[in-house]
Amino acid sequence: MKFFKSINKIILSGLLLGTCACDSWLYLEPQDAIVKQEFWQTKEQVESAVVGAYSSLIGGTNPTVGEQMFIWGELRADMVSPTPFASSSEIEIANANILDTNPVVNWRAFYRTINFCNTVLQFAPQTMEVDKTFEEAKLTNFLGEARSLRSLMFFYLVRSFGDVPLKLDATVSDDQDLQIPKSPQEAVLKQIRRDLIQAETETPITYGNTASDKGRVTKYTVNALQADVYLWSELYDSCVIACDKIINSNKFGLVQPWYRTLFVTGNSNESIFELQYGTQRHPFFLMLNPVQRFGAAPTVLEEVYTLDLMNPLNVDVRADGGALRSDGSIWKYMGVDRDTRRANVAPYPNWIVYRFADVLLMKAEALNQLGRGAEALAIVEQIRRRANALTATAKDPDSSDSDAIADYILEERARELAFEGKRWYDVLRNAKRNNYARQNILLEMVAKSAPVERQQTIVNKYRDQRSHYFPIYTFELQTNKNLVQNPFYQ
Amino acid sequence: MKQKFTCILYFILLTFFSAILGSQAQTAGEKFLIRGKVIDRQDKGGIPGVSVYEIDADRRTIAGVTTDLEGNYALRVSNPQNRIVFSFIGFKTITEPINNRSQINISLATEGSELTEVVIQAKRPVDNGLINVEKRNMTSAVSSIDARELEEVQATSIDQALQGRMAGVDIVANSGDPGAGMSIRIRGTSSINQSSDPLIVVDGMPYDISVPEDFNFSTADEQGYAQLLSIAPSDIKDITVLKDAASTAMWGSRASNGVLVINTKRGTKGKPTLNYTFKGVGMKQPDAIPMLSGDQYSVLIPEAFMNRTGVPLNTQTVKEFLYDPSDPYYYYNYSNNTDWIDQITRIGSQQDHNISLQGGGDKATYFASLGYNNTKGTTVGTDLDRINARINLNYTVSDRIRFRTDLAYTHTTNNLNYIPVKDVPIRNIAYIKMPNMGPFEYDELGNLSPNYFSPLRNVQGSYPGTYNPLAMALEGKSLATSDRIRPTFTLNYDIFKNKLLTTFDVAFDINNNKTNLFLPQTATGLPIADDDVNRAKDTDTDIFNVDTKTNLIYTPTLGENQTLSVVASFQTNDYRSVNYEATTANSASSLFQDPSVAARIQDASLGIKSGTGQNRRIGLLVNAQYSLLDRYIFNVGVRRDGNSKFSENNRYGNFPAIGARWRISGEPFMQRFSNFLTDLSLRYSYGASGNPPKGSYAHFAQYGNFDYNYLGVSGIYPLDMELKNLKWETVIQSNFGANLSLYDGRVEIDAEIYQKRTKDMFYPELQISSVSGFNNVDMNVGIMDNNGWEITLNTTPYRTQDLTFRFDFNMARNINVIREISEFYPRARGNINANGQYKIFIQENNPFGSFYGFRYKGVYKDAESTVAQDASGNAILDPNGNPIQMRFNYPSIDYLFQPGDAIYEDINNDGNIDYKDVVYLGNANPRLTGGFGPRVTWRNFQFNAFFNFRYGYDIINATKISTESMSNYNNQSTAVLRRWRRIGDETDIPRAVIGPNYNSLGSDRFVEDGSFLRLKYVTVRYNFPKIISQRFKLADLSVYSTVENLLTFTNYTGQDPEVSYRGSDPFRVGYDNSMAPPVKTVTVGLNVRF
Repeated sequence: MKFFKSINKIILSGLLLGTCACDSWLYLEPQDAIVKQEFWQTKEQVESAVVGAYSSLIGGTNPTVGEQMFIWGELRADMVSPTPFASSSEIEIANANILDTNPVVNWRAFYRTINFCNTVLQFAPQTMEVDKTFEEAKLTNFLGEARSLRSLMFFYLVRSFGDVPLKLDATVSDDQDLQIPKSPQEAVLKQIRRDLIQAETETPITYGNTASDKGRVTKYTVNALQADVYLWSELYDSCVIACDKIINSNKFGLVQPWYRTLFVTGNSNESIFELQYGTQRHPFFLMLNPVQRFGAAPTVLEEVYTLDLMNPLNVDVRADGGALRSDGSIWKYMGVDRDTRRANVAPYPNWIVYRFADVLLMKAEALNQLGRGAEALAIVEQIRRRANALTATAKDPDSSDSDAIADYILEERARELAFEGKRWYDVLRNAKRNNYARQNILLEMVAKSAPVERQQTIVNKYRDQRSHYFPIYTFELQTNKNLVQNPFYQ
Repeated sequence: MKQKFTCILYFILLTFFSAILGSQAQTAGEKFLIRGKVIDRQDKGGIPGVSVYEIDADRRTIAGVTTDLEGNYALRVSNPQNRIVFSFIGFKTITEPINNRSQINISLATEGSELTEVVIQAKRPVDNGLINVEKRNMTSAVSSIDARELEEVQATSIDQALQGRMAGVDIVANSGDPGAGMSIRIRGTSSINQSSDPLIVVDGMPYDISVPEDFNFSTADEQGYAQLLSIAPSDIKDITVLKDAASTAMWGSRASNGVLVINTKRGTKGKPTLNYTFKGVGMKQPDAIPMLSGDQYSVLIPEAFMNRTGVPLNTQTVKEFLYDPSDPYYYYNYSNNTDWIDQITRIGSQQDHNISLQGGGDKATYFASLGYNNTKGTTVGTDLDRINARINLNYTVSDRIRFRTDLAYTHTTNNLNYIPVKDVPIRNIAYIKMPNMGPFEYDELGNLSPNYFSPLRNVQGSYPGTYNPLAMALEGKSLATSDRIRPTFTLNYDIFKNKLLTTFDVAFDINNNKTNLFLPQTATGLPIADDDVNRAKDTDTDIFNVDTKTNLIYTPTLGENQTLSVVASFQTNDYRSVNYEATTANSASSLFQDPSVAARIQDASLGIKSGTGQNRRIGLLVNAQYSLLDRYIFNVGVRRDGNSKFSENNRYGNFPAIGARWRISGEPFMQRFSNFLTDLSLRYSYGASGNPPKGSYAHFAQYGNFDYNYLGVSGIYPLDMELKNLKWETVIQSNFGANLSLYDGRVEIDAEIYQKRTKDMFYPELQISSVSGFNNVDMNVGIMDNNGWEITLNTTPYRTQDLTFRFDFNMARNINVIREISEFYPRARGNINANGQYKIFIQENNPFGSFYGFRYKGVYKDAESTVAQDASGNAILDPNGNPIQMRFNYPSIDYLFQPGDAIYEDINNDGNIDYKDVVYLGNANPRLTGGFGPRVTWRNFQFNAFFNFRYGYDIINATKISTESMSNYNNQSTAVLRRWRRIGDETDIPRAVIGPNYNSLGSDRFVEDGSFLRLKYVTVRYNFPKIISQRFKLADLSVYSTVENLLTFTNYTGQDPEVSYRGSDPFRVGYDNSMAPPVKTVTVGLNVRF
């Protein structure tokens, strides 16, 4: 046996020697991807990573961020109704029967983009040391873009879920703790506001061409987002200031003709930030074409826009052939003109996140809360004039009656921004203002859109303010043990 | 690269070394001439052409000549101490020492004349792919099978042939189509979702059957991809299965699922023999599930529709059921009685030809074979063509140096059906297709046209849920072409004769696969602009694999009572794969079936893709086998594995193995039983082996490119996170076995008990919190056990000159239990509130494959029977004193059961059927599996039968769910003719309801005992007597006939109780979706040897 042992020893030491030589032989890098160690070397790589963050908004997940912006913003509200072709999970949302197993409440796509932004924020600065041609100003711009996009994502998340995990570092390896608990809504909003103040100084005014100015985050995009965030946070002075920065730049205006310039040509003078679909298929084609999953609610044409029965030629340009068609199909983005449906081929239309009319109406809403009702009404009038809004929808509230003015602004927002993923958030923002002083706005809305047999149940459900936020998707709870289900769904 | 250099360097050094040794011998003396004459011992005449050559002490040839016409020769030899060899075909070879003679005359005797019957009693060695150990000395669990036993089976690949033959080896076909893959499980599934296929070792070198990680399976899934097709069964000499970790530890990583060692035939010394075998097979689909005719279907659907809300089906809008002759288009197209199954089914056939030539002399032996197989599947549009060629050469340079080189080539073309939805073959669509439709379209005037009838959509739906099966089978294309070349080279060199042996092996494996898919518009009826119209797709996957193995085998002489053999082995593997894929659509016609025809590529689902991957492995192994007094045998080994799929932290793993065998029968006190006891041994082995993850680059944080751009610029994004903590999945196995051999091997019993534990079990793509920004990671998630036993019995109860009776039997049981699993692993699947779904849980300390659901109690015959009852059988009353109706899932669904609905047992008697009424229904793991069969030889006749069985497991008959649920527009089986139709009907099949209903919830109605006993095959063979075969100038002639899958004894009402464990998803076990049982075949075969 001794002999056997010594043999073993010799061979084992031989094995050890062999393994050292084999170490480099066993190191293989992938050929069809770049590994982190070789990335973050040049400014071009940083730029493509920033572009990657934008790209993630329009593809790569199912549903994409762009699609969810629509669904989250419209499905619970009263302007959109699912057709029988909608998935059962979408119908459930519309019926306010929202369970934590419903894939619509999956926030995956948003956190994916957040991680891309975090990756840029974390690793782009170190590229400066390697690439000597990388100018500081350029880096600052990139960081500003990533910071703003991250804020936009978090803003959608807090408005939809309330408290959400605040993930501010890049996920690099499985060593990291990914069991992140929720942060209170106010803490997330605070982070967003802080980030946006920084991003405002970092982002450029222009990228040198119109498409990029609309498709990437400029200083004005930051201002528009700020206005929205301040309005949500009930910081009306700041909101007005942010809106004024855009208005006073004199770079934006209300365009004519309304439909064609905004939604067919795209990247118009009115637009502030649009997701540039280009050859990437627009989610609307899957939602509204060829078999529609969603249509306009039956009330929209007659109640929101109304018809002039005396003079059929006197129409609100945003009504039939604008936002929708008289057959109930949603027309915004889908038509090339009043009658022709867009072919399902590239280039696809863009998805507008912020545009000047939105900013004006946000300003009006803030002014009204600051007691400057007359100024607010003037803005509403400006919007209505451009669209030839019918007199049937005109109101003349007293300039001191802030509730009536708020209602009027909300109605005008519905007309102007129909099917742009804004409605639910607009209604919720108005309803929750001053500690849910006007919760009835929301209850009236759901009562109106609910199926008759479920009306009572739905209204009762929405009376509980905690139900205004989505549940956390069930597998997030399974995979993150520090997450607690939102109170209404526990 | 470095390693390859080292290997080549070794090789050169050794050749040089041996050359020096040789030349030393050569220079020992100066050359001188020897003359002589070679004559025939019988007629004393000179023999021309005899090889006369000088050999040295190592039998290395130094110089040689041949005799002239008179048999004279003159040979210049270099060393008078060497020997001279005289050899000629047909004569016995003579080796004569020179002894300083200058004249050597020799007379040669003809071969065979002195031969009387020779009884060869060789001890059967077992090949573990590294060293041959006599079977009686093995310390570990192996079972082996001689390919001759499998010869008569019609199998196109060896896995088919092995089905049920070996204890603990569970092989199930994935489908009945030609070229379909098999899933092979040795001692259960040792991994969840990781590949569970065993490692295949062919002629001592690993044989890759895996597919590249980024391979697009198109229509086949991973398991359906039959790589074993590349080895022709007729070339195989024997197959050994290594089951326990002590034996698999030899092969290290990848071997944790067991090893299948295959040896191909090699030449033997002797006259060249030519062998020809022929097999002709006829195949028939067994009877299909009887489905409704068009007329019966047209009665069912309006009834089912009306049962929904009481509103009748509006046949003005749903003209499929209008039957109005004044609307000829609908009338003719929707008034047929089409048996869609029949349309796509035919009699299959197979022909298999194989010619092999083998033989050799002292120096060289050869085996060469050429085979051709052509199979026509039983489903229209499926066939297989295979050509395979092999040359195995052995050459003995001297007693010290031997080399061999093998070359195998296989070309396969396999036509399968285009399958739009994964795992839903055409046959399944044919079952559910509306039978009142016809395969061909009638025009507006009611004339039959030659066009396929493929409306874009009708009441049943549209592509891909339904399509024209006949058009799809005939016009759709899924053609897989593969070419595989595998050259191997082996050099053996004895450094010290019979003491220290080295072997060097290198095997190259070039494996090219191309799949060509085409989806014709004629089958789908889709509008021409749709990107599923005339969609053509090419996938090309090329794999290049290099394996090397360097062995150092030391066998010292330790005297009479001890033997020792020590093996040190160094193995490397370099695996590279490249693949390309091109997809186009909208070519002008269904005749342009290749993406090389310019067509549309601009769409997210179209275009080109490519991928490439590489991984490397090394293994270092030391193993020693020691035997004392032939009674105490020990085996110890350790293996160190390195793999490029891990980060530095975990790149290497050490895996030890030990084994021992105690031959009790060899003990002196057992001598009194030696008259009948040949061998009685106890064995124990313990060992570990490691399993690397599937993905090659998980330990990198990678960045990828979006396949679209934003503002004309390409974006880059992080693809995944760096997995620093990924470890080897380790399988630790201990095995306790016993061998008993009685009456000179006439009774042989092998029994094994094993415990197989998988530690750090992999779970690829485990979903992680999406807050991370990623979807999933590969993780080590837990511990799983496979415990069980196996028994093999081989007996020859009767043996005389004329009649031999043999009986073989094997049986095994495996219990699979999860011991520990990550808290992030999904624990449950299945929604019991939806039809057809069962609840499946994964729980610690419970086996996989248990499922839960409701208990089915028949059908509510009338309104009275729907009243809820409490535990004592009294009606439950509401506060007003009115009886309460049974309801389903109050309050969220709150459905009131109606007459004609399914009754589910109200376990807790609360009048509400919900999750509280869910009970355990069964488990999908067989309690016993195995096979047995007799083999009778009587004079020239041979009779051979084999049965295989599985016992004690439950199957969810998913086919029954889909053919008896009557909740959509799909065709149903004739069982639904018994359905509840009017108040008072007492039946076991609920009413038909299209739309929401709860009549086919997961319940014991669809759970059945899957136990079966199948007569796998019966063969009768006749060997023609010598007198007859010699008349035809043949050495050997035999014919046989085999019938396969003749009979299945089972209570299972589905198509086939032999459900494949397709995929290793723990939640998937036990669903029988099969609509096609294994085909019945009749084979006629012929063996000729010249």
